[in-house]
Amino acid sequence: MSTLSQKAAAIRQPAPGNAAGTAPPVLSVRDVRITDRAGGREIVHGVGFTLVPGRTVGIVGESGSGKTLTCRAALGILPAHFEVSHGSIEIEGRDIADLSPAQWTALRGSTISAVFQDPASYLNPSITVGAQVAEVLRVKKGVGRRAARREAVELLDAVHLRDPELVYGQYVHELSGGMLQRVLIAAAVAAGPRILIADEATTALDVTVQAEILDLLADLRDRTGLALVVVSHDLAVVAQLCDEVLVMREGEVVEHGPTREVLHHPRHDYTRLLIAEHQQYGLEKYLAVEEDA
Amino acid sequence: MLRRVLALPSARIAVAVLAVIALLAALGPLLAPHDPLATGDHPLGAASGTHWLGTDYLGRDMLSRLLDGSRVSVLGSLEVALTALAVGVVPGILSVYLGRAFEWITLRLADTLVALPFLLFAVAVVALLGNGITQAMLVTGVLVSPLFYRVSRAATLAVARSPYVEAAVIGGASIGWVVRRHVWAKVLPPVAVALAQTVGVGFVIVSSLTFLGIGVQPPAPTWGGLLASDLGYLSQRPWAPVTPALLIMVTVWACNVLADALRDVSGEAGRALVLARRARDRRPAAAGPAPAGGAR
Amino acid sequence: MTTTQAQPPAVPVARRTAARVRHTLGRALATLARSVALFVPVFLVATFVTFALRSLSGLSPARLQLGEQATPEAIARVEAQWGLDRPFLVQYGDWFDGLLHGRLGTSWTNGADISSLIGTGLGVSLSVATFALIIGIVFGFGLGTLAALRRTTWVDRAITGFVTLISVMPAFVVGIVLVAVLAVGLHLFPSAGYMTPQQGLGPWLAHITLPAVALSFDVVADVARQLRGSLVAAYRENYVTGAVVRGLSPRRIFFRHVLRNGLGPALATLGLKFPALVGASVVTEWVFGLQGFGRFANDSAQSGDVPAVQGVLVVSIVLVVVFNLVVNLVLAGVTPASQRGV
Repeated sequence: MSTLSQKAAAIRQPAPGNAAGTAPPVLSVRDVRITDRAGGREIVHGVGFTLVPGRTVGIVGESGSGKTLTCRAALGILPAHFEVSHGSIEIEGRDIADLSPAQWTALRGSTISAVFQDPASYLNPSITVGAQVAEVLRVKKGVGRRAARREAVELLDAVHLRDPELVYGQYVHELSGGMLQRVLIAAAVAAGPRILIADEATTALDVTVQAEILDLLADLRDRTGLALVVVSHDLAVVAQLCDEVLVMREGEVVEHGPTREVLHHPRHDYTRLLIAEHQQYGLEKYLAVEEDA
Repeated sequence: MLRRVLALPSARIAVAVLAVIALLAALGPLLAPHDPLATGDHPLGAASGTHWLGTDYLGRDMLSRLLDGSRVSVLGSLEVALTALAVGVVPGILSVYLGRAFEWITLRLADTLVALPFLLFAVAVVALLGNGITQAMLVTGVLVSPLFYRVSRAATLAVARSPYVEAAVIGGASIGWVVRRHVWAKVLPPVAVALAQTVGVGFVIVSSLTFLGIGVQPPAPTWGGLLASDLGYLSQRPWAPVTPALLIMVTVWACNVLADALRDVSGEAGRALVLARRARDRRPAAAGPAPAGGAR
Repeated sequence: MTTTQAQPPAVPVARRTAARVRHTLGRALATLARSVALFVPVFLVATFVTFALRSLSGLSPARLQLGEQATPEAIARVEAQWGLDRPFLVQYGDWFDGLLHGRLGTSWTNGADISSLIGTGLGVSLSVATFALIIGIVFGFGLGTLAALRRTTWVDRAITGFVTLISVMPAFVVGIVLVAVLAVGLHLFPSAGYMTPQQGLGPWLAHITLPAVALSFDVVADVARQLRGSLVAAYRENYVTGAVVRGLSPRRIFFRHVLRNGLGPALATLGLKFPALVGASVVTEWVFGLQGFGRFANDSAQSGDVPAVQGVLVVSIVLVVVFNLVVNLVLAGVTPASQRGV
């Protein structure tokens, strides 16, 4: 585990030539409020952050705090009746409010993509997992059938799946949760998006598998300059991966700042509570690393 | 449950329709204005003051024949449904408890019965074993019983696997007690749905058989028989099939609506089916071929 | 899977492809074997019941040939000629052996070969049934899909209402209405009879259209209802969100992801409907004056020709079993996940 934490610490150093603040943001969320039209109730009361390539924003909070709705708004997949009632979301400088369905289709996958909790349910049970990765390549990048297959196998290899050839031809029910999350990540990054949203992507996994998936995400970010949004109820996940963190509670951002700052000098009671809870489960390890750095 | 069903407007209409049909069946012969068997001087007559629905090719009053024939249809379809219920439910429940051999045998029997084209089989069996509507409907009831077998088995499986029953069994409850205490309550709603459906199916079967002249001797009127005799005189009286056809359709519709309403109000039924389907996916013996698909 | 796993990583592509083909073929064969294993008992039980009908009915060829006044000796002689004095199981074995060789015996009424009698009628019935299935599939799938894509709109409600309406119309009632309106009233179609495709494709279609339409209502209603339900359910699945997020177009998501998973229950319904379709041919062939398989069954049953009735039943069981085998194979191809653990 020590190597993992060292790696995590190393990752958190901004990559050279990729200094934060200089590159134009790929995703900017400005004071977004989300309302349930059916109930006439505002669920999210103003979330804002900007994200540049190669950097990671974390959103923590308990379930129902509005973190998933915020992500869904950025992906344009809010559930029926929900709408962004205030504020704006810009992807690569384009306001998503004006996007037509066709423009959304073009944008998703190739500019912004996402992975979720329970990866088994996000893959089609009737098609081999490899074909679903290849499908993204064929549709989004116009790659030929055979080349798509080859590239898909390479992608499965890149997400550290053993024997990618075999995995390519398997169905969802033949793979484990950790393997499926890797496949889902491969499918999500197949068309080379600039933003990847990981919504509780490691929540249902074993602790060791969880660490491996987080490593994989960090690795992808550093190699390709992907901008990551990591959503989790788990502070440890955020601490390992993120440069900046938002703490949400009941639709409100109660704390927002650099990860180190928030973890070491929490200003809000709720953040203190989260940290206190986590100290029982080994979060201090990350705190210690922070101090070394 | 009955009160909840009657809260639905569609179910109220359906129940009213079925009540009228039942009344016709009970009092039909008394209400009939003419003797349904008496031939008259005006064959193929149009609707008139004395013959509201006209007369058939022998001059017999159509309304009277329709009213008189309703009893055969109603009793026949009830017989189908009740036979199916009696034959299907008990093995369905027991298949969960009596061990794998019994389970395998009953499942295969259910598969077989579902795979038989039941109208063809009913025609064959009835014609060969004797020309009586009672036998006909008994056989048909057996042929459609897999529906009851499936739904009661599904509901029982769902109950048997539920944590509270497992806890009761671990606590020393006998199977008999579990069945009386928990299983009946869960089996009844889906069986009620199936019963309503089967009465509708029974109507179609009785009408089909009597249409072919099977099960009832010629002079006696039946809805299906009326349609058959109308068929020969379509060019003279093209409107004649309308009333018996409408009666059959409205009755079947009412049964279906009632079945849907029952299913809607008893969330258990739907849930039991879903659970059982999942259970079936895991059980080699239970995961039948397409004809074993079970309840719609 | 284990075979591929055992291979060293650097296998030539050709061999890997070969392994994959073997793998797919293996899956198909396994499905076929499982389906056959499930249908064998069905077939055995059904044929046994069918054969037992004669003993249960107490009918005898002697009654048909000699009339009611026959002496017991004469009856015994005729029954011996037909081999009916032998033990029941011997007769069953003999009959079953014949079945496996395609021999269905000879008719009690006219001594004709039952296989060829059924063969002539089967062409008529299969023409009608196949056409009815095609209508049922086309309209059932069309309406079900449309209702699912326009769910909760007036289109959905209109389709649901229409489907409810036609689902309560028994085939013979539809048949009578069609004959009354389209054949007798408007003279658009012949009201009865049959022409073979050899006599002309147009007349053939004209003769089978009305019976096929009458038979198809039930199929259309059930397939549409089932498909609408399973498509709506499939649209709620997470893998649809997954596909949306990967940037796939709505059209692609429908055809490749939703339809594929929603198809299973509708196909299974089709398998369930087939016996009803075969059975309903008894009444529709009567309505439309077709000398088909169902009419033959009805006539033989009413005249007490037991071997002919048994022959019809066996053929119908074979039809149902074969049809469901095909449905199972298609199902296994479309939704492999549903086959796990079966």
